[in-house]
Amino acid sequence: MAAIADTQVVPAPPRRTARPRADRGAVWRWVVLLVAAVYFLLPLLVAFRFAGIKSFGSVLSQSGFTSSLGLSVRLAIVTTVIEIVLMLPTAIYIHLRLPGLRRLMEGITILPIVIPPVVLIVGVLQISPGALKNTPYLLALEYVILAMPFAYRAIDAGLRALDLKTIVEASNSLGAGWLNTLMRVLLPNLTTGVLAAVVLTVALVLGEYTMASLALYQTFPVWIYVNSQYSGQISVAASLLSLLVTWLFLMAITMIGTRRSRRKGGGAVTLFTATRQETRGN
Amino acid sequence: MTANITGNTARDATAADGTRQTAGTRGTSVVLHDLSRAFGATKALDGLSIDMAPGELVALLGPSGCGKTTALRIVAGFEIADTGSVLVDGKDISSVPAAKRDMGMVFQSYSLFPNMTALDNVAFGLRMRKIGTGDRRKRANELLEMVGLAPQAKQYPHQLSGGQQQRVALARALAIEPRVLLLDEPLSALDAKVRLQLREQIRTLQQRLGTTTLFVTHDQEEALSMADRVGVMSHGKLEQIAAPDELYDKPATAFVAEFVGIMNRVPGELHSGGTVTALDKTVPVMNQDADVSPGPADVLVRPEGLTMAVIENGNGIVATRTFLGSVTRVGVLLSGDVTVQVDKPSTDAAALAPGTSVQVTLPPEPVLVAPRR
Repeated sequence: MAAIADTQVVPAPPRRTARPRADRGAVWRWVVLLVAAVYFLLPLLVAFRFAGIKSFGSVLSQSGFTSSLGLSVRLAIVTTVIEIVLMLPTAIYIHLRLPGLRRLMEGITILPIVIPPVVLIVGVLQISPGALKNTPYLLALEYVILAMPFAYRAIDAGLRALDLKTIVEASNSLGAGWLNTLMRVLLPNLTTGVLAAVVLTVALVLGEYTMASLALYQTFPVWIYVNSQYSGQISVAASLLSLLVTWLFLMAITMIGTRRSRRKGGGAVTLFTATRQETRGN
Repeated sequence: MTANITGNTARDATAADGTRQTAGTRGTSVVLHDLSRAFGATKALDGLSIDMAPGELVALLGPSGCGKTTALRIVAGFEIADTGSVLVDGKDISSVPAAKRDMGMVFQSYSLFPNMTALDNVAFGLRMRKIGTGDRRKRANELLEMVGLAPQAKQYPHQLSGGQQQRVALARALAIEPRVLLLDEPLSALDAKVRLQLREQIRTLQQRLGTTTLFVTHDQEEALSMADRVGVMSHGKLEQIAAPDELYDKPATAFVAEFVGIMNRVPGELHSGGTVTALDKTVPVMNQDADVSPGPADVLVRPEGLTMAVIENGNGIVATRTFLGSVTRVGVLLSGDVTVQVDKPSTDAAALAPGTSVQVTLPPEPVLVAPRR
């Protein structure tokens, strides 16, 4: 059995120079992390110093705070509902019946990022009927378009993690029609993707300024800007607060999503990935 | 057996304990009539017709791309035939959507719903049929017991092994009391040992329940061991449909002969009188209607059909020996660089060391001929 002799492990000569590679990798990881942390956190820290603790207390009592935040939240809800109702069936249909169009769809959904919001809103204001122009929900329709790239991608990632065709056919063969298949089989397996789409859409609506301002509605970001004309500190405090709220919301959803997904064998939930389910051997 | 869902599963489950109706007394007849389906220029199915008796298990066997899966998917309602029809209990179901066909299906890839436990998966079809929670759970449990997975009822698919998942999928397909059971290579993702166990389990259950079953596979051993009849397909057409032993012993075409089991091709000379000479022996031809013109032709003969004796200056030389248990398969090099496989009882094979000169002879029975390749 010469083969065995051949494959015997020859002990590697001990390394004399430098530190092992793994160690060096770890150091670099920390350096990169530190640079990123400084880049992202320093402005926040500076903003926090500038605003001062006191101004956080007075944000809530500012005139216009409640109404503008209320409007933004309402817009966020309407946008999210329309977004999901539109994108979920679309993404499923494309995956199932028109897989050849997936590339094209990715291209189309990126358009709202490429086209400046100014162009979008001015165009829409020009051509939209008067009835729509007079309601802030016109903005919701615009935001649906703006959020499309994020929502589509999030749902798309969820769909990629499923063996969609087989699952749909299994459901059909067991007597489930389309509605049952969508609500009882697909949706529960797409919670991660749908949640990610919701988070991204909400975050986008709560932070959008250009369109709202051009359409002359005082949403929360517009209010922050207007307020900064009178009191810089309070507006900075308000934006920090909104950042915190959005961040908490995001963390909550990823954590809930991960817990749910772990229980059912999926991977951790992040906004754009969903790990494919793995099966233990035979 | 009709599409009536309520009230039979429990009886089937009790039947599992011993008392049993004979297979075939219930079940549905299925007729595939002249099915054709083209994908672009490729003819996936070209006039396929099969009659399935109630309770029968028919396996469709063939190389990939032969149209067997397309046929199954047309029966399931996931694919529409260009021409032809599918009759279940004499009724044309071509216009019935998949969800209303009452056909249980087990897929090649794992198809359990990841968000549901094994129990909920099995109960899903019953839920779609608006059966109350209590009844549904009871029946789903009985079916899980039938496939031997009662202890795993509360586990999610990712907690089950591949073999267990396919057993749950089988229970799920049977839970709806399907008129027809469709199996689309359900074992091909499993390893050999599990495959063998599950194969027996599927066959036992199918016979016990008497469910008419269409089974698609590319594994001839699977088809031959499980099916009442095996249909061998090639290029969208049925080459032959017959009981496993008939398929093996009396293959209708050269394709079937070579696809099922091991087949030797021995060069010979076909005579116009319905005989052929090969290996210094002249024997009658079995497939006299085959499209082979007199002259050089190949004789098709199985390893166990050839006989062999050790002899000085014989017509062949032993090249290889493969021990297969009770028999040993001997590879013999004939003149003209042709190798044939000959089966010998392992007790006799000891004398056949590589290099030994042997005389290989045709059986006296009629043989199949095919055009010289």
